[in-house]
Amino acid sequence: MKNKNNMLNKSVKAALFTAVMGVNLAGNSVFAAEDKTITTVVKISGIPWFDRMETGVDLYAKQHPEMNISQVGPATADAAQQMQIIQDLIAKGTDALAVVPMDPTILEALLKRAIARGTIVVTHEADNQVNTMVDVEAFDNTEYGTALNERLADCMGGQGKWTTFVGSLGSRTHLQWVGAGEKNAMKYPKMQLVDPNNESFDDANGTYQKAKEILRKHPDIKGFQTSAGNDVLGVGRAIEEAGLTGKVCLVGTGLPNPSAAYLDSGAITAIGFWDPQKAGMAMNEVARILLEGGQIEDGMNLGVDGYEKVSVRPGAGAGKLLIGNGMVLVDKETYKEHLF
Amino acid sequence: MKRDANLWMLCVLIIVLFGFGGVVSGGTYLSLFNLQSMAMQVPEIGLLAIGVMLAMCAGNGGIDLSGIANANLSGVASGIFTLSLIDASQDPLLFTIIFVIGCMVIGLLGGILNGIVISRFGITPILGTLGTQMIFTGVAVVLSDGRSVTVGITDSLYSIGNGLIFGIPSSFILFVVIGFVLGVVLKYTPYGMRLMLTGANPKAAAYSGFPSGKIIVTTYALSGLLAGIAGVIIAARNINVKWDYGTSYLLIAILIAIMAGVRPEGGYGRVSTVILSAVVLQLLSSLLNFIGLSNFVRDLAWGALLLCFLAVGRFNLINQILASIASMRSPRATE
Repeated sequence: MKNKNNMLNKSVKAALFTAVMGVNLAGNSVFAAEDKTITTVVKISGIPWFDRMETGVDLYAKQHPEMNISQVGPATADAAQQMQIIQDLIAKGTDALAVVPMDPTILEALLKRAIARGTIVVTHEADNQVNTMVDVEAFDNTEYGTALNERLADCMGGQGKWTTFVGSLGSRTHLQWVGAGEKNAMKYPKMQLVDPNNESFDDANGTYQKAKEILRKHPDIKGFQTSAGNDVLGVGRAIEEAGLTGKVCLVGTGLPNPSAAYLDSGAITAIGFWDPQKAGMAMNEVARILLEGGQIEDGMNLGVDGYEKVSVRPGAGAGKLLIGNGMVLVDKETYKEHLF
Repeated sequence: MKRDANLWMLCVLIIVLFGFGGVVSGGTYLSLFNLQSMAMQVPEIGLLAIGVMLAMCAGNGGIDLSGIANANLSGVASGIFTLSLIDASQDPLLFTIIFVIGCMVIGLLGGILNGIVISRFGITPILGTLGTQMIFTGVAVVLSDGRSVTVGITDSLYSIGNGLIFGIPSSFILFVVIGFVLGVVLKYTPYGMRLMLTGANPKAAAYSGFPSGKIIVTTYALSGLLAGIAGVIIAARNINVKWDYGTSYLLIAILIAIMAGVRPEGGYGRVSTVILSAVVLQLLSSLLNFIGLSNFVRDLAWGALLLCFLAVGRFNLINQILASIASMRSPRATE
């Protein structure tokens, strides 16, 4: 924020200065920065997830004062608005864009033109993006699902009935997570999967109702593995109200701040997530390497927590898919280290 | 003279924005590439704004809230239909022609539905078009399963959205030509005259024997047709079309119409001013992105602009200022 304000002040001052003095316009350019510009464009600004990402971008900007680094995003969740911002940034001559696409498909044509114009394009949360140079993903979805399930099996003592929740059956990553979880659970023959793939639609209240039904139908159920961000809250509430805290295990994707109360009470066993702060820094680091003409290679160290030894594969298009180890799994004891 | 206040103010704003943008950006803002890039962004929202203008001109609280939903539905439905019919790689030109016609037909049908809902069933336009907006969105979701539809793979379609003719984006030329034709229609045809008169005084129009139902259906059909063309441009620019694209366009289109001095109560609106107004909004929007201001400031700027233009229209500010300048120059003239 401060960075932005400074820039604004500078540009306004420069504008006034040039206007008043009437000197040559082209000579006094603010945008031809001493060095390169990297702009992070998020899906929507002003929500906790991307505010957290901005702390990472700001931190990275502090570490690299020689570059012009900032984060922007539309005020409304609309792919068209994000597109306009990116189009203007390309026209402005931004050297590198780090984009978290609202809708990867809508941006394909625009990012293609950006790359053709020589702009560096890095994306995040878009492993199906064709027109990108490097797509940065925090973790491998299969490994994440396996890790969640392993934590669940650990809590369940490797036996008992368990079930899974996904945001929707159309959500590719969620199905990958629970799929990997089911595969992992096969290691424990006494774990029995019942009524899998309940759809939560990321709605805590709906999930709560559904979880209550499941608790009634299977009074002896021992575990839940959930996927969408709000699922843990709904299932956690159902477990707490049924007085089953500590008897039923719940592991799923969630954010530390909203889940704090249930983690403390023990209704949620553990939550998994990736830290957008680190992802923001990793994207900017990749952009910087590409700007300097460097290569993104398998096993390289981006100098960001969780991205010390990244794996690089061919992406959906001509670009690369970079996968970090940015998975974070926290419980009652450890969530306070990641409060956001 | 009085009505030209908005036109006058928009022209001044364009010059000011170009000047300020050029200085602040050190010239990049005025570079050919950025001018092209901005011109490329105007048509889709501009066409929707002209649609809103037409609906407003019809009077009786006329407004078209279904524009962007209709545009998305046109792109999605026509895209699915054309993809199932023709292999785009085999016959790209035919694919493009059928897709474009499909979009326009669906847009037109959507507009006619709006017109019928409003004129036959006597439903207030704001409610009627809100209803059809939801229907259009819903149908687009069902048809596409909520996923985006990939259409713009052919060169001929791509060039509508991204091509240049003499350095000017072809979509912008299309937009201006459509605006010109509509402007002529509104000014010189009996339909145009009747539309404005109906909007200005529905009662008098009814007693004069104007076919008001026909006029309203035609007007909303035109608005729908424009939405269909906006759908073509969206598809051509983005390769993909999706039901939830441009949800923020709805209010921006209304803002553009109001800034252009279209009377919300009906009876007055000029296409040329709407085009200028869309250009001003684009210039300002891009300028804010150039400066790197938060996008929440943009909402604030839109609100301030809207109130400012409403005040100009309400209090006839420009003419008062002009009059006072004139009286200062030649004090005797006013005595």
